[in-house]
Amino acid sequence: MYRIVIDRSLCSGFGACAELAPEIFEVDGGGLVSLRLGSSADPAVLDAAAACPMAAITVEEVEAA
Amino acid sequence: MTHDPTFWLLARASGLTAYALLTGSVLAGLVVRSRPFGRSVKTASALDVHRFLALLALGMLVLHGVALTLDRTVHLPLAALVVPGISPYRPTAVALGVLSCELASLVVVSFSLRRRIGRRNWRRLHWATYLIFVMATAHGLASGTDSTQPWAFGLYLGAVGAVAFATAWRALTSPIRVPSPAPERST
Repeated sequence: MYRIVIDRSLCSGFGACAELAPEIFEVDGGGLVSLRLGSSADPAVLDAAAACPMAAITVEEVEAA
Repeated sequence: MTHDPTFWLLARASGLTAYALLTGSVLAGLVVRSRPFGRSVKTASALDVHRFLALLALGMLVLHGVALTLDRTVHLPLAALVVPGISPYRPTAVALGVLSCELASLVVVSFSLRRRIGRRNWRRLHWATYLIFVMATAHGLASGTDSTQPWAFGLYLGAVGAVAFATAWRALTSPIRVPSPAPERST
């Protein structure tokens, strides 16, 4: 399970993460990315974090509850 | 003794290639923001192309500078590659190239420092890309010995036209937000 945190002070709304993992990330009305889920087991979150040009996404692997 | 034209040819070819790569990087950056191709071009792919072309352009600029200092046609001292205005050959035009290259290096380095300098400063610095492009164009036209050739002039004209068109597209169309598909619901 991955815990996901977005640093919205860095996010510029490129939306690469929302394309790679749309179940977890979405570009909100303000043009920045927000989380649909705070954690997920989908490894796509790793790709999404790596694709963020601002390195605004932090993914931490945690034990599933 | 005849003059070996190898470095002179290399300098001209690398300069023009760097300009073409810079143009490609600027266009890819504009594609990231205005998304004229919708879902058919992934943002992550366009970003990769944008960064890769920018790095290649910088590498080509290093080759351009080294070849110019090794060549004996224009007698460019090594210091003239970093200090604008001291080139004995077309000092103003060469200075524009030096400044353009230094600013481009700063923009590329800022990518690694984006977390430290913050989004706002990073974006402000990225706007300098337009200045880099304008200076590089002026440098190429004014100092390039091939600029009067129709093919070279066509390259500059095509590059300026493409960047102007892509910039106008970005300015006139609001950033397209392709809606994310609704998350799949398990039943």
